[in-house]
Amino acid sequence: MRTELTLVAGVVIASSHMIMAHHSFSSEYDATKTFKVSGVVSKVEWTNPHVRFYVDVKEADGRATIWNLELASPSALARNGWTSRTLKIGDTVTVEGYSGKAVPTRGAARSVVVADGRSLFAGTADDSGAPAQ
Amino acid sequence: MRKIAFIVAIVADLFGLVMPLAAAQGQGGDSQKGVLGPVNALGQEFKLPPAPIGAAPRLPDGTIDLGDGIWVNTRPFSAASSLKPGEELPLLPAAKTLMVARQQADDPNNWCLPMGVVRYSPYPFRFVQNYTHKRPTHLYIMHELMRTFRQIFMDGRKHPPEIDPTWFGHSVGSYDKDTLVIDTVGFNDKTWFDGRGTPHTEQLHTIERWTRVDMGHLVTEVLIDDPGAFSRPFTVRYESTLRPATDDLMEYICQENNQYGFASGVR
Repeated sequence: MRTELTLVAGVVIASSHMIMAHHSFSSEYDATKTFKVSGVVSKVEWTNPHVRFYVDVKEADGRATIWNLELASPSALARNGWTSRTLKIGDTVTVEGYSGKAVPTRGAARSVVVADGRSLFAGTADDSGAPAQ
Repeated sequence: MRKIAFIVAIVADLFGLVMPLAAAQGQGGDSQKGVLGPVNALGQEFKLPPAPIGAAPRLPDGTIDLGDGIWVNTRPFSAASSLKPGEELPLLPAAKTLMVARQQADDPNNWCLPMGVVRYSPYPFRFVQNYTHKRPTHLYIMHELMRTFRQIFMDGRKHPPEIDPTWFGHSVGSYDKDTLVIDTVGFNDKTWFDGRGTPHTEQLHTIERWTRVDMGHLVTEVLIDDPGAFSRPFTVRYESTLRPATDDLMEYICQENNQYGFASGVR
């Protein structure tokens, strides 16, 4: 019985979401190499093909860097209930994600947590706490 | 136990519910898992509500109505998706060589160029028939991705004898009972059928059959005939579902801020 239930559950999950992507992830980012940075959002680009935000980070060695971080497209984010105001300039955020293959300060974000603890852009079908569609 | 599991798998596949990993590679379909769970940038997955059921609606003249909402492909597909197990695409040697030589960075989609007629898109599309004092003469398929449209002539005209090749070719449409049939020639050779780089030549001729099987489901079968790239014609089949009535096409200006290649060192 366990086998059948697992399979049925798998089918339901597969049907409950779609992948919204424009560009091939694997040619840009490394699915085995992750980053975690904290800093202040300096710019949000609500643009195609991907929404981007930039974070001023003070690295462990004292250097100041600007991270260029990628989200989904505006229409994919909008269909999940988010707007260009969800992430604001000046927000202090901790971001985790996959590292760019060539440029260490570029990444595909998988988690954006604001200083007050709110998790932004999370809660998709593959994450916990999915927002109502 | 195994028999039940097999039946479940078959049923799931029939309904297009399981995303085939191989077909999901490349544009719009990386479904691989990374160490943080799903790959792709945050916010790209969203819940797909159940598609409505019931009879497909009709226009006053009895034609199946395709234009009352926006549609989205249920899952990624490739040129090879509809082949039987063990079957391979009938690529001619030159096409095989070209496909092997292609790099992901060369994918036209990565550079905001059009998808062409047969390629998976994770973004919605909409059929729009023009409204004239005569019967509709033109049908447009509006795609959110790249903000592109296809133009299909419904006025009975034939393909011109000579055509300058284009990304979307020259399309004429008609109805076979309740199925919209679109016949297209005059393609350039620049589009890829999928993220694997499956190629075609300017000899490509496609015949699409669009059937709205019920209120919420649209089945597409595309016959791909390209004697320049394949030793025989083959068919690609895929499905789409109707999005909720509250959803509409949204703006997608791909060239606006395309930073493809920077993170990978391609440019």
